[in-house]
Amino acid sequence: MADDKQQHDRRVFSCTTCDFTVDYHYKGRKPPFANCILLHEECYVLKDPFSTSGGFVTVGGLCSMCNRDVCLSNGCSLFYTQRFCTNCSVKHIQEFPHELQQEIMHKLKS
Amino acid sequence: METNQSIHFSSSSSELSDNDTVTNYESQFSNHGKRKRKRSRSAGADKDCQLGHKHSRHLSEEHKHYHSHSHKRKLKKMKHKHHKSKHGHIDKECKHQHKHRTEASDQDSNSDISDSEKEKKIQKKSQSSSERKNLLDSNPDTETLDYNFDFSKYKASLSRMFFRENFFSKIAIRGSQEHDDFWNFVNKFVEFQRKKAEKSKDAKVQLGAESGQLNLPKVFDVSYKINISFISKDFDVFFKKNRLVDYQLEKELSRGRVLQFRSIILHYLDFQQKQKFQKIYKICKDQRELPIYQHKETIIQMLQKYQVIVVAGDTGCGKSTQVPQYLLEAGYHKIACTQPRRIACISLAKRVGYETLNEYGSEVAYQVRFEKSKTQSTRILFLTEGLLLRQMKTDPLLEMYNIIIIDEVHERHVNTDFLLGVLKCVIKQRSDLKLVLMSATININLFSNYFNGAPVLKVPGRLYPIELEYCPVKTDDSVDSKRLDPRPYINIMQRIDHKHPSTERGDLLIFLSGMSEIMAVVEAAKAYAQKTKRWIVLPLHSALSIEEQDKVFDYAPDGVRKCVVSTNIAETSVTIDGVRFIVDSGKVKEMSFDPKFKMQKLQEFWISRASSEQRKGRAGRTGPGVCYRLYDESDYNSFDEYSTPELQRVPLDSLILQMISMGLPDARKFPFIEPPNMSSVENSIIFLKEQAALASDESLTPIGQMLSMLPVDVVIGKMLIMGSIFNMIDPILSITAAMSVQSPFTNRAYTDHDALVARKPLESEHGDPFTLLNAFDEWIQVKAQGQGTRKWCKRRGLEEQRFYEMTKLKRQFKDLLKDHHLLDREEATARYMSSDERRAQHGERKKLNELRKEKMKDNKRRKFLTLEDEEFKVSDEEGDINKGDDIKDLEFRLSNDLNQLQETSNKSRNFTLRDINLMKIILCSGLYPQVAIPDECNTYRRDTEQTFHTKSKPFVLLHPTSIFASHPDLLTPKYLEHKKLSQSELKGLFSSKHELLAYVSLLETNNKPYLVNAMKVPALQTVTLFSNSIDTNADCTRLIFDSWLEFKFKDALTAEKVISSVIQLRSTWHSLLLVRLKDTFEGLEEDRRISTRARQLERILASKLTEFLNADFLYSIRRVLAAEMQRAYVGPGKVTDQGTAAMFDKILKVNSMGKEHPIKGGIQVTDYLTFNCLLDDASASVWGEFTQGMQRFWKCPLCGQSMLVNVLERLQHEAVCSSEGGQGLEQLQVEDSEKISELNPLRKSYFCTECNKELSLTTTEILKHKKTHLAT
Ligand SMILES: [Zn+2]
Ligand SMILES: [Zn+2]
Repeated sequence: MADDKQQHDRRVFSCTTCDFTVDYHYKGRKPPFANCILLHEECYVLKDPFSTSGGFVTVGGLCSMCNRDVCLSNGCSLFYTQRFCTNCSVKHIQEFPHELQQEIMHKLKS
Repeated sequence: METNQSIHFSSSSSELSDNDTVTNYESQFSNHGKRKRKRSRSAGADKDCQLGHKHSRHLSEEHKHYHSHSHKRKLKKMKHKHHKSKHGHIDKECKHQHKHRTEASDQDSNSDISDSEKEKKIQKKSQSSSERKNLLDSNPDTETLDYNFDFSKYKASLSRMFFRENFFSKIAIRGSQEHDDFWNFVNKFVEFQRKKAEKSKDAKVQLGAESGQLNLPKVFDVSYKINISFISKDFDVFFKKNRLVDYQLEKELSRGRVLQFRSIILHYLDFQQKQKFQKIYKICKDQRELPIYQHKETIIQMLQKYQVIVVAGDTGCGKSTQVPQYLLEAGYHKIACTQPRRIACISLAKRVGYETLNEYGSEVAYQVRFEKSKTQSTRILFLTEGLLLRQMKTDPLLEMYNIIIIDEVHERHVNTDFLLGVLKCVIKQRSDLKLVLMSATININLFSNYFNGAPVLKVPGRLYPIELEYCPVKTDDSVDSKRLDPRPYINIMQRIDHKHPSTERGDLLIFLSGMSEIMAVVEAAKAYAQKTKRWIVLPLHSALSIEEQDKVFDYAPDGVRKCVVSTNIAETSVTIDGVRFIVDSGKVKEMSFDPKFKMQKLQEFWISRASSEQRKGRAGRTGPGVCYRLYDESDYNSFDEYSTPELQRVPLDSLILQMISMGLPDARKFPFIEPPNMSSVENSIIFLKEQAALASDESLTPIGQMLSMLPVDVVIGKMLIMGSIFNMIDPILSITAAMSVQSPFTNRAYTDHDALVARKPLESEHGDPFTLLNAFDEWIQVKAQGQGTRKWCKRRGLEEQRFYEMTKLKRQFKDLLKDHHLLDREEATARYMSSDERRAQHGERKKLNELRKEKMKDNKRRKFLTLEDEEFKVSDEEGDINKGDDIKDLEFRLSNDLNQLQETSNKSRNFTLRDINLMKIILCSGLYPQVAIPDECNTYRRDTEQTFHTKSKPFVLLHPTSIFASHPDLLTPKYLEHKKLSQSELKGLFSSKHELLAYVSLLETNNKPYLVNAMKVPALQTVTLFSNSIDTNADCTRLIFDSWLEFKFKDALTAEKVISSVIQLRSTWHSLLLVRLKDTFEGLEEDRRISTRARQLERILASKLTEFLNADFLYSIRRVLAAEMQRAYVGPGKVTDQGTAAMFDKILKVNSMGKEHPIKGGIQVTDYLTFNCLLDDASASVWGEFTQGMQRFWKCPLCGQSMLVNVLERLQHEAVCSSEGGQGLEQLQVEDSEKISELNPLRKSYFCTECNKELSLTTTEILKHKKTHLAT
């Protein structure tokens, strides 16, 4: 069984909007375990837990307006050239294209 | 022109699509030729990007570099560094660029832009887009980059360009899951875009909304929603040079198409990310929704305060999967979680591994009897209760764990109760060890009180209201009560059909007591379902294959309900979602054990109130439900409160053996949570003594020690040990494996005429264990010949799955024996494989992978049942092989060396009678005293009335599945085949061919006792070798074995021979076991082989045994009744005449070994042999006294000493002489050691040309021998 010293320091991502919590492996734009991938925003990234052959999963990012940690679920954030938490996107809904305004309204409801 | 073209292109594509990124690229290409234009534009873009970076962080360092790079005037030197980053830039930045393409930028080098300038710029931006739109709309001349292009035609080129990076490499492999997934996506995506484009042809482009501080592009573009990009060197090259360096692209792959494809990849990556995120998100969300989640903190706090806690929750509250995770999160990381069932360990480890996102790691692992996934980094280990107990042998305080969870304690298996007792002691010595008991909400106080009032946390399950209805069945006496009347069950189905519209979903679960009841109801329910087409009827019991069991989890189509007809397996172990109706028969069939007769009974009982409630609860898991109880409320009230724990109803042999080996010498005093019957404990101790596992002082004998190490049943363990000692291991492994799994013979094998005929050649006249061996060997042969075994099995009414299980178990038993040095490790015989063979194997491996993949897809697809699903078709057509079985076949071929298997099974078939007899003796070493003697009147009885007597149970029948039940003629003694003898002639008939039936179990069904799995064994040899007590008269012509079988010999000479052989054999056997046990323990440290001394003893024993088995001793056999036994013995101190008394005195002085037996009288020569304690009838005793005192000259065959002795003196000399390690015997054997080697059935004569000698060797020995020549 595992020894005490093996207990690695866990890095935990917690969404500030919902109660989604998960241990992550990397925060940034260039996950070291997915060499040719480049992200357009700083993300919380996991090694793909569903695959044995590498890969990655992005689970959260920072709202470009309020800088809060938000997960990538539809209810919590939106990416449109940058990430916006639901709060901020609602606040600035007028600035989004019409196609997205609907989507944002929908988020608000959920 | 170029510019124009590009504009047109963008326009058309943006019209068609959601402004695909393609447009952006194209716009940039168009500028390639125009240096000046490009520069200024890219400078503008640069500026734009910097803006973006500053305010919205969406540009990385690399992006800036790239821009600088393209902006050559600025930072030429950095050129070489930026290769990687280009595309990040390309995707996004180009968009900005093209948005501003009409915007002449003159602020190229100015990176610090004031806010007001920025705003201006943004305004311009939106303006310019709309301007551009208008401009584009008006231009009809376009390169139509529509969605009618078939990218899959250019897989090779596209793969070459995009998928050479490690990250994508799997997509490039044709046939890989990733490849298929990707190209499916491409097709779907293109299709979707095309449809979308058609729809929105005339839709007006919506203009941007208000501008503000967000700095967003105002024209909506789906690609802005993608936060991911990738790098591809080859694409860079193409992007720059319009071609690849060393690869000729098809001309159809224009820049536009390549860019379009690149955009699809981006969408694919985005799609994949969203999918994976959703999966993780869902895991988290589902966890939070479990009832137990509300108590997470409480559990952790309770554990900080108390050493033992009880978590009581109903099924579905999530305790089994969640509590271990909570503990892990709280910082515990040596967590053991026990489960009563092996299968639960594996599935829970998988589930918890998945939930902790550790599916492929070993942080969460399982360990069961023969398999483990545990490693150094394991933090949560799921293991069986039995295994944890076993671990205590090497780690008595379980120091490898700091927290132990015992799940499903309410099930109260033998090991659960034992473990509770042991842990109760352990926690006293380890204050740091925490204990969590998890149970259903049944009898919680019992557990809490047992641990001195441990705190209890109750977690209510999610239960919806359940309507309860008692519908007692009127017992109709006119109907044969043996068969269950299915009508009440069909009535309920009808009622459901009438009362509930078929649009209201909800399935039915029927609880019945056993398989035959299930069959009766399934049959009737299917007939009803045929008529109504509203039901799919599925049986569920443990005898079904996994695939058949899994069907109950599939969905029924709309308007159709599932009707699952189940044993109590669905009460706790199997949970089926969507059940709304329950029908409860109130009955359960349980295997109970009658310790008096060592007989298993499959009996039907009323269930307990606890299980009645449990069954009812199954209706309310997913919504409100209805429960119909087919009994009266008064019945319910009279039910027991809880079910009887297993400890109260099964044999405790293994438990007691294990307790003693763990240093708990007295099971009677063990602090069980609820102690078992004392008589049950006593019976097991007696049994273990009979099996020679316990000595008379209840300490472990050598064989007992060995047995306690093997995690198998005592009987099986003994056979394995003996099999390895007598070099008969392969067939014994097959037979023990067959005894340990369900019979491969299905009901059809006994009822279907064709099957009966087809399986006839498999039948063995020796008995059922040998029929099983034949079936297995033949199956291997058929496989080795490359024929379809599935069809072969079906024809004979055999369940193929059992053979696969046997193969696996055989290998596991073998490993076990090797681990305990009871079997030599084979030389790493890496068999030479020809290139053809290797190629064939490679092909098989590939095929297996393909089949597995196909089956995976199949499984996904097969989520919906059809009305035909309930039909279990038996068809003989070729090609009717379902994929699952073919997979098993291939797996089998790959994990077993078929040639080798075939070789051993060939040998099995060439068994001589001597081999068979030896095997019988080996099997009897485990089975004895499970032997039965035929009734004297059997020869005059009809086939079905053949009766037998065991020591404790008279008049037992042959089980209908036995070969002897269908061929009772096989039981007719050889000496009777030709002549008819009268009953009085038969009585006391002297013959050397008397036989007994050894059987694997006694089973009582329908109040009749049956012998199950029986074989014929030579009476004399079996009984003399294994009986616990042999009592003799004065000249040993009359022997009584284990107080119930009497053998008489015609003359004293035969009697002497027999007794002397038995003493020698048994003592050699004993010393061999001691040597082997020593080897075993010493072998634990080093990888030692079996010692030569052991080998030598084995050879001697084998030869002596064969001699003994072949001997033609004439004797008669008779069952002695218990009443008779009461006056059978001389009794202590009752010396009849002076002569004997004098002799006793003399003996007692001369030899301390010979003590008078305290009850029987006579002299106890060895622990099993009591000489002259039998009271002969008057005439015999006269003769007996005469011979008893008579002295003769006798030469001991062991030590060679000649002496003048009477019978007793001789016996005593032999007992001493042979127990001194049988050195004399060895001496005796040296001369004819050559002969002995022939006795190993696997040896054959081999002429070595090198040493010019005829040798007798096994196949492996031949190889070894050849090697010795090669070496020199
Ligand atoms: Zn969230
Ligand atoms: Zn925000």
